[in-house]
Formats: sequence, C-alpha cells, structure tokens
Amino acid sequence: MSPPQRGRGGGGGGGRGRGLAKGGGGSAVRGRGSESGGGIKGGNKVLVAPHRHAGVFIAKSKGDALVTKNLVPGEIIYDEKRIFVQNEDRSTVEYRIWNPHRSKLAAAINIGVDNIWINPGLKVLYLGASSGYTVSHVSDIVGHEGCVYAVEHSHICGSDLVNMTEKRTNVIPIIEDARHPAKYRMLVGMVDIILCDINQPDQATIIALNASYFLKPGAHFMITINANSIDSKLSAETVYQKEVEKLQMEELRPTEILPLDNCEGDHACVFGGYRLPRKQNS
Amino acid sequence: MIILVETPAGFALFKVKDEGKLANIEDLAKEFETPDSARKIVKLKAFDKFDNTSEALEAVVKLHEGTPSKGLRKFLKANCEGETLAVADSKLGNVIKEKLKIDCVHNNAVMELLRGVRSQFTELLSGLGDQDMAPMRLGLSHSLARYKLKFSSDKVDTMIIQAIGLLDDLDKELNTYAMRVREWYGWHFPELAKIISDNILYAKSVKLMGNRINAAKLDFSEILSEEIEADLKEAAVISMGTEVSDLDLLHIRELCDQVLSLSEYRAQLYDYLKSRMNTVAPNLTALVGELVGARLISHGGSLLNLSKQPGSTVQILGAEKALFRALKTKHATPKYGLIYHASVVGQAAPKHKGKISRSLAAKAALAIRFDALGDGQDNTMGLENRAKLEARLRNLEGKDLGRLSGSAKGKPKIEVYDKDKKKGSGGLITPAKTYNAAADSLLGQTPAKSEDGEESSKKKDKKKKKKVEEEEEAEKEEPSKKKKKKKVEEEEEAEKEEPSKKKKKKKAEAETEVVEVAKEEKKNKKKRKHEEEETTETPAKKKDKKEKKKKNKD
Repeated sequence: MSPPQRGRGGGGGGGRGRGLAKGGGGSAVRGRGSESGGGIKGGNKVLVAPHRHAGVFIAKSKGDALVTKNLVPGEIIYDEKRIFVQNEDRSTVEYRIWNPHRSKLAAAINIGVDNIWINPGLKVLYLGASSGYTVSHVSDIVGHEGCVYAVEHSHICGSDLVNMTEKRTNVIPIIEDARHPAKYRMLVGMVDIILCDINQPDQATIIALNASYFLKPGAHFMITINANSIDSKLSAETVYQKEVEKLQMEELRPTEILPLDNCEGDHACVFGGYRLPRKQNS
Repeated sequence: MIILVETPAGFALFKVKDEGKLANIEDLAKEFETPDSARKIVKLKAFDKFDNTSEALEAVVKLHEGTPSKGLRKFLKANCEGETLAVADSKLGNVIKEKLKIDCVHNNAVMELLRGVRSQFTELLSGLGDQDMAPMRLGLSHSLARYKLKFSSDKVDTMIIQAIGLLDDLDKELNTYAMRVREWYGWHFPELAKIISDNILYAKSVKLMGNRINAAKLDFSEILSEEIEADLKEAAVISMGTEVSDLDLLHIRELCDQVLSLSEYRAQLYDYLKSRMNTVAPNLTALVGELVGARLISHGGSLLNLSKQPGSTVQILGAEKALFRALKTKHATPKYGLIYHASVVGQAAPKHKGKISRSLAAKAALAIRFDALGDGQDNTMGLENRAKLEARLRNLEGKDLGRLSGSAKGKPKIEVYDKDKKKGSGGLITPAKTYNAAADSLLGQTPAKSEDGEESSKKKDKKKKKKVEEEEEAEKEEPSKKKKKKKVEEEEEAEKEEPSKKKKKKKAEAETEVVEVAKEEKKNKKKRKHEEEETTETPAKKKDKKEKKKKNKD
C-alpha cells in the first residue's frame, strides 16, 4: 500500500497521517483548505479521500464536503471554493467543492445513492444543463476521455454554458430544445448515461425520446423530479409514482428512487436502466 | 434502401444490405452489437465530407430549417438514384421527396437502424476515428451554439482588454529600450542625450549617423529641426565620448530599429484599439473617449461586468485604494478615478471637476449598459448624452461667472454636521511631510509666539485638494489645513485651533485671526481653545500684517 501523501500544512501531523487510508479505500491526501467552504476554513488541514463513486472525492475537515478534481486547474465556474493538495512530487492537485444545494446530483450522492453510474471515461448526455454548474462537475468526473453533451434551451443560461465550455473541451454545448433530439442528432453519438434535470411536465416523454436516439442498450439514466413542476395539486409521492410508471412504459426501468430531503421543495431523484437485459429466473 | 446519417464530419450514406432484417426491430439492436455483424447489415456507400466548420454550420442550419443544403442535395442526387432513402427527420424527408424526387422513409425501423449505425459509427466509417471526429464535433457544436446565441465575434470585449494591456506593456518596453539606447550610445556621444529629448528622434538620429563622425556629413533635416541639427553637429565634433567599433554600432543600430518598430507598432495598436472600441462600445466611446473607455472595460473585467456596476462605482473605478482608505478613516472619499482622464472632466474648471465627474459617470453607466445589453450598433445615445454633459458644464461655469461678478464676498460654505467626520486631509493625497526647521527655533520669534513654544510642526492629518498649490508648502511649516485656493496665514498660537478649522476660501489674518475668528464669518464648528485666544489676543493685536508674512516664512 502506498504511504499516505502529505499535503501542504500537514507537516506537523506526522504520526496522524500514517494510520489513515480507510473509509474511502486507497491513500488519503492531506491538503490545505485554501478558501473556506462547506465548513472548511482557510488554512486548515484538509484530508481528501476518494469517494465510493469513482471520480468523486470527499474533503474532510471540520465538516465534510464533496469535491471533484478540477479538469481545468485555475478555473472556477461561479465562485465555488477550491482545495489545493500537494503531492509527494511537489505538484499541486486542485479540487473544487461540489455544493449539494446547487446540484441535485451532489445532494443524491450525499444522501447515499447506491450507484450514480458516472465513471471516468464515459459519455454523458445532460438534458437541462442550465449555466453548467453540475455539468462542470460531471465533466470533472468523466475526465478527458469522456464527453458530456450539455443540452440547454434558454439563451441566457446558454451563453454562460458556452463560456464555461470554452475552457472545458470535453463538454459539447447544445442550445436546443430537448424535446427535439432530431435537431442535435448530428452532434451526439451514443451515450452511456442520460442525466435529466428539465422540470417539465412531459419530461418522461422527453427522456424516452432522447434515450431512443442516443442511449446505449443496457445503459443507465438519472432523472430529477420536482413534484410541483409536474403537477402541483397532487402529493409528492403520488407524482413520483406516476412518473415512475410513465418511465417504465418507455423501457426505462427505475432501480432507485431517492427523495432529496436536503433540497428545498419536493424533489426526488430516480436512477434506472434502459433496455436492461431481462433477468433470468434461475 | 439507403440511410442518411448526418455527422459533424459530413454526410454519410449507408446501403442496407439485408432489408429483411428491418422487419424485426427488436433483434435489429442485437445485430449492431459487434462491428462485424453491423457490417453485415449496412455498408458505407458514400461520404460527403464538410470542407470546414463554416460549411458544416451552414449545412446543419439548413437542416434545422428542414431543407437540404446544396451540398447535401448534390450528394443525394449523385448517390440515391432509384433507391428509397431512410431519414431521421420526416419533414426533411418530405422536402427531399419534393425537390429531388427521392422516396423517403421514416419509421421505427429506421430509428433502430440509426441507433445501430450510430453506435458502430467509427467502425463502419473506416478512416474516421473518434479522435478525428471529436474536434470537428466540438467546432461544429460551438459554431452552432454561437449561431443560436447570435454571437458576433466583433463584439468581443476580450480584444479590448488585451489590447489595452498590450498598449501599457508596449509603453513600458519602449521606454526601457529607449533609455537603454541613450545609455549605450551615450558612451560614444554623451552630449546627444541632452540635445535630443525625444526618444524616437534620438533613435532615428542614432540610426542615421552611427558613428558621430558621420554627423557632420549627413543631413538630419527630415528628423530634426535646424537648430537641434546645428547643435548636434557642433557637439559631434567636440564630443568627449569614446570610440566604438563597428560591431558595437551594429548592435546599437539594431536596438534603435527595435525601438522604432515598436513605436510604429504602438501607433498601429492604438488605431486598432480605437476601431475595436467603436465597434464594441460605441456609446461609451462617444462619451469618454477610446482610451478611458478601454481602461474602464479592462478594469471591470468585461463589458458585461461593468454594466452591472452603478454610476457611483464607475465614478471611482481606479481609485479604490483612496476610497477604502477614506472610508476606513472616516474622511471624504475621492471624487474621480479613471474617469478623471476623460476630456469632459479635463475641460472643467478644478472646482467643477467633481460635479462633472459624477454626471459623466452616471451617463457613462447608462451608455455601458446600452452597449453591453442593447441591440443598437450606433452611438447616437452616447453623442446625445455628451451634448447634455457639455451643456451642464457650460451651465456650471455660467453660474460661477455670475457669482464672481455679482457680490464681493460669497457666502461661506455650510457643511452638514457630522461629529465623527474628521476634518482635514486624511484619505487623499498628502504632500510629503518634511521636517520643519523653523518650528524648533524660538529665537527671533515675537513674544506672543514664544508663549506657545510648543509650536507644533505637527502635521495634523488633514485632507488636501488634488490641486496642491505652493501655499501648501508654506502651510506645511505650520500645521496644514484643508484649503481651497486661498492663502491662510496663521500664527502658531492659532495653530492649536487648526484641528477645528475647515476649508475656507478667505484670507485669514493670522494675528487678528484669534480675535477676528469671532468677528469674521469664519465658521469653526469644532471646539476652540478659547482660553488661549484670550491670552494671546493682546499681543496678537500688536502685530502687523506685513510681519506675519515674514514670520511665516521662517
């Protein structure tokens, strides 16, 4: 097992560093919390450990924060805090803090979803990219080998998205209505996962249509349901149930339904698979 | 059957080899799982590559509208004779059918087929790997996005920010090199540095003559004026510099070339900046000028950022250090920042600069928002506002003239009482504090003065106006006051009261000041040390006006 790496500001805690490398599995890296965020005050010793999900990390200090490794070191999207960690070979690794209040995917990870199905190197179709906040973190996770197709219809958010993608070459901006995947068929190849955050009443149909165009068989999807956007008269659970039924009709089989309690309002996250092979009854 | 597949690299036509398989949609997906089995179903018939991103953009935009572009039409005509064409978009299919008389199909089977082809795309299209496709995809997506957002590359403010940064860098470099030329050539011909003060002319002259011996023979009339030329030729003969070899001269000449080309480039860059400013922010340029406008944009980070700032911020952009210092120490804040260099503010008389700067900043903020967020391309709004500002300036000056010619003594300025506000110069420019030698000698002083031996050359913390006049030098010898263009001559005994004095526009008579303070319309709103006044009152009365001037010069 490789010795745990010492980050800047971690020089004093020699003995403490040795016994680590649990929790996330693999070596933990001591870092310097340069800017405060998520309970991490500047100058504190911060420990960055890999999360159970590949490509995601946890920064442990007074409070825990979810971080991803910055694909474009030095660039931040709005004003999120960064954590700098120094490796043994004196190179600095930069992590950006992922705010679960801003990003539903982060909220889902914090609550403890089984599998987010996003791994480094995958191709992701993100419907409802907005200004690109969550997209940037997904792009950090998939890395340079992967690709994120970010679809956003609004022009205002679209300009922010395009600005963000100018720095990140693994994100493809698409300023189109997700209801018409035919309009961006020449830009998108087959993808390994669809993330859908569009808050439209017909979102089940939208994701189904996009899946039929672009989602590989046996691949997965994630959809966030805002109960009030679908139908404000019904109770949240009823809405979730109805959406799940709609999805099931379109060959999108949900495997996990996660109510997002740490978000405002009635939100839920549904993870599932597309055209999953029929389970053999042994 | 032929299937049309659109890709970022171009249009591809695949021939479906086995149409029977299309009947069974569900199994179709399985057929495409491996590249080999995929090749059994479809085969690449033809591929029409896009020459460049703009062609690709055009083609895609046409597709969005539902019509095939010219290139696509030709391609289809050439390859689709007598076959049915499977398309992804039924509208497109209809148009193709109409225009090109090619039957088009669009159904679930087609969709499945497309999925399959797309998943095995790189294999089926031999010679076009993922690596090649990725940059094309990126380029096309960005062009498409920009097209959608009506992005115009002319209106990029990044160019402005870079250009102004480069302009400043160039100036510094130019100066450095020019100084270097002077120093270096000065070894050979030291007198030239004093004769020619302009850097560019110096470089040109050096380039022309090389060794100073040649100066007598050459004609400098294009570069220099006659008298300077005469001086030069004289000095060349009697110069006390050392000889230099040709190799050294060669290098010096190279450096001069550099200087000259840099200065030429700087002129070009300035023109470029002007033209860019007029494109990006025409209204702002009309109001404050190209250079100031560019600096404002550069300071704000981008035109959009700048547009979010209120007028009061635009007013003091560039003077942040003075601003926060004044806010922290509760002094008056600066009245202008970068905007000081605008021509409208330059035209104003010193006492109106503050007012004009505020009005200008307000209009400038409007102009910035118009340029950043509005649709117009012209500068009518900027010109109108500039006219308004100039009218206001004339108005201000007119009022002043009226006042000057009207009454003998103007009304004193009434300030709002603020117990915490400190008077005097604190936040702004303070002149260098020098040691006041006159302060420590008691000999030669009048008895009245000697009473207050603790003559303070204390430089109290006061605010000074930006136009620091020479009186301030004199004032330094006494503790300084906040003054406008008036001379206040004070005796040392009155100096203790100085913290309580405010800006005045009158001549204060020092000895009598103590007495006259009560009598004249001087408004001292701070506590005065009345006791001291009384003690020094009588001796003060004895003094002459002339004397005080002498004393103050001690």
